[in-house]
Amino acid sequence: MLFTPLALAESPPEPDTAASEAQEDAAEERATQFVGVRGPEAESIPGGALLLAAYAIVWALLFLFLMRMRGLQRQTAEELERLSAEIRASEGQ
Amino acid sequence: MSRTPQSGNSTVWSLVFFATLALFAVALYTIFVVAPVEQQMGIVQKIFYFHVPSAYAMYVGFGVSAVGSAVYLLKRDPRWDALAVAGAEVGTLFCLIVLLTGPLWARKAWGVWWTWDPRLTTTLLAGMIFAAYLALRSMGDAGEVEKRFAAGLALFGLVDLPLIHYSVQRWRGVHPTVITGKGGGLESEMYWALGLSFIAFTGLAVLLIWARASVERQKEESARLRLELMHR
Repeated sequence: MLFTPLALAESPPEPDTAASEAQEDAAEERATQFVGVRGPEAESIPGGALLLAAYAIVWALLFLFLMRMRGLQRQTAEELERLSAEIRASEGQ
Repeated sequence: MSRTPQSGNSTVWSLVFFATLALFAVALYTIFVVAPVEQQMGIVQKIFYFHVPSAYAMYVGFGVSAVGSAVYLLKRDPRWDALAVAGAEVGTLFCLIVLLTGPLWARKAWGVWWTWDPRLTTTLLAGMIFAAYLALRSMGDAGEVEKRFAAGLALFGLVDLPLIHYSVQRWRGVHPTVITGKGGGLESEMYWALGLSFIAFTGLAVLLIWARASVERQKEESARLRLELMHR
């Protein structure tokens, strides 16, 4: 009688018992209950901040594009001026 | 007193500029004061009034780039190439605006910043195609082969534009479709705000393409002078 529990533990479980245990393990990994929030709402996505961010992005990108274009325009105008001067100088030689 | 084409162009540019500026002021007033706050989404829905016209301005930019590229491939006229570059750059700017403002709205409406919805994915694809075009063109002075290859890329990008537009109808996604031929998706004040924004963004896209193409023509002229100087 003393060896009976050990013998039971060592003996392989029956197929039906093993399948039901595996199902229980998988189920335990998932959420088994939902608990309601007490007090103020837990998650609140701030619409105003998102709106502000969106409009700020639009104006910032437009401003950056204009600044880049202005720089490009200035750089090209200077290069054109320099090349024209070099051509005039080479014609004079 | 006769007027030069340059001064005529400058007058038209100034007119479009001030009209666009005024339209933006009126559009912003209509968006934030006249148009009501949306019942379900709240104030974040007002992103829509800049997001959708930006998408439209993106179509204008990419469309201009594709047309400029097609004509350049046929005529080899550098003015069309300059227009193609300007269109691609302005289109990419507005594409970036669309791809950044959209997720800010989506976070509130869908609970996620991004999802692989057909319209979102095809818009990202268009942005990547034209970013590749700009990367190709930014490698110093582009030669004839680079220009032609980039023009082909712009035409490939053009194929994606109808896909963005019709993706919502062809493939079921989560992107809203409040503007349809059947109508009825917006309240009248919302339509006004959106309509004014559409006109303002069209003016802005035209101005930016115009100015950028002018700079690109100057760059072409500079490259021509450099070549002339080398052959002396």
